[in-house]
Amino acid sequence: MVKQNGGIRGSLYKLYRQEELKDGVLVGEDELGNKYYENPRYFYSRNRWVEYNDKAYLNYDGSQVSAEWYGWLHYKTDLPPHKDPSRPKYKWMAEFTENMSGTTGQYVPYSTTREKVEAWVPKQKSSA
Amino acid sequence: MGDFVDRIAQTVFWTELARGFAVTIAHIFKEPATINYPFEKGPLSPRFRGEHALRRYPSGEERCIACKLCEAYCPAQAITIDAEERNDGSRRAIRYDIDLTKCIFCGYCQEACPVDAIVEGPNFEYSTETHEELMYNKEKLLSNGDRWEPEIVSNLRDNFLYR
Repeated sequence: MVKQNGGIRGSLYKLYRQEELKDGVLVGEDELGNKYYENPRYFYSRNRWVEYNDKAYLNYDGSQVSAEWYGWLHYKTDLPPHKDPSRPKYKWMAEFTENMSGTTGQYVPYSTTREKVEAWVPKQKSSA
Repeated sequence: MGDFVDRIAQTVFWTELARGFAVTIAHIFKEPATINYPFEKGPLSPRFRGEHALRRYPSGEERCIACKLCEAYCPAQAITIDAEERNDGSRRAIRYDIDLTKCIFCGYCQEACPVDAIVEGPNFEYSTETHEELMYNKEKLLSNGDRWEPEIVSNLRDNFLYR
């Protein structure tokens, strides 16, 4: 188990970051660089897990799991996305983002309509 | 008499302390029953009703036709819709606001929708730091749909026989 997690140093790093050492089979990687593992020896709901991209370091967050892998990680489907041919790939689909609350990229609500009451701007008198 | 001596012995020698600690020590070596969120996540149903999203047709055209059935059906009255004619003559929503702090996640909106436009997606990790961020407007809902479309489609496929 230590060997699989990258030697003693790598294992200590993973313990520090994830508080747990597990051995498993790498099932796939999403476009954000998160790695997904599986080991059916653990009981249901512990047998699939994600190792977040090393760039996130300690700022990993549950919402960083990409939409494609979300269902697999939540046991909704047993098909990982790269083995599921019926997954749509439309060109209008947006890139996945994590929950941006509390950052500068957060969603700020705005009205998508014109205001119902518009203020009257009086005409300037030409002759003063 | 034997009973009495046993009880005296238990009280005097505190054997229950030792037995209690034995249980504690045994549990240290047992596999924990908790899951290590966010690395491991709990099971969800394909019918799970989470954050809302507005879907598009495969061509990229938005599905919502502003029929306001969801607005009428919403028991919490969390949805506000304004409709207007678009340049090409089709009826579209110019305002589609959902107050997620009012929403009770009953799923009636996705049941009312005749074109499968509004769905409650699988995402539940959308917590925000302020209240106003939960006042979703149409653009936010459409962008949710754009991001979660593969998952929404996979859920609908798992589920279509039962609808």
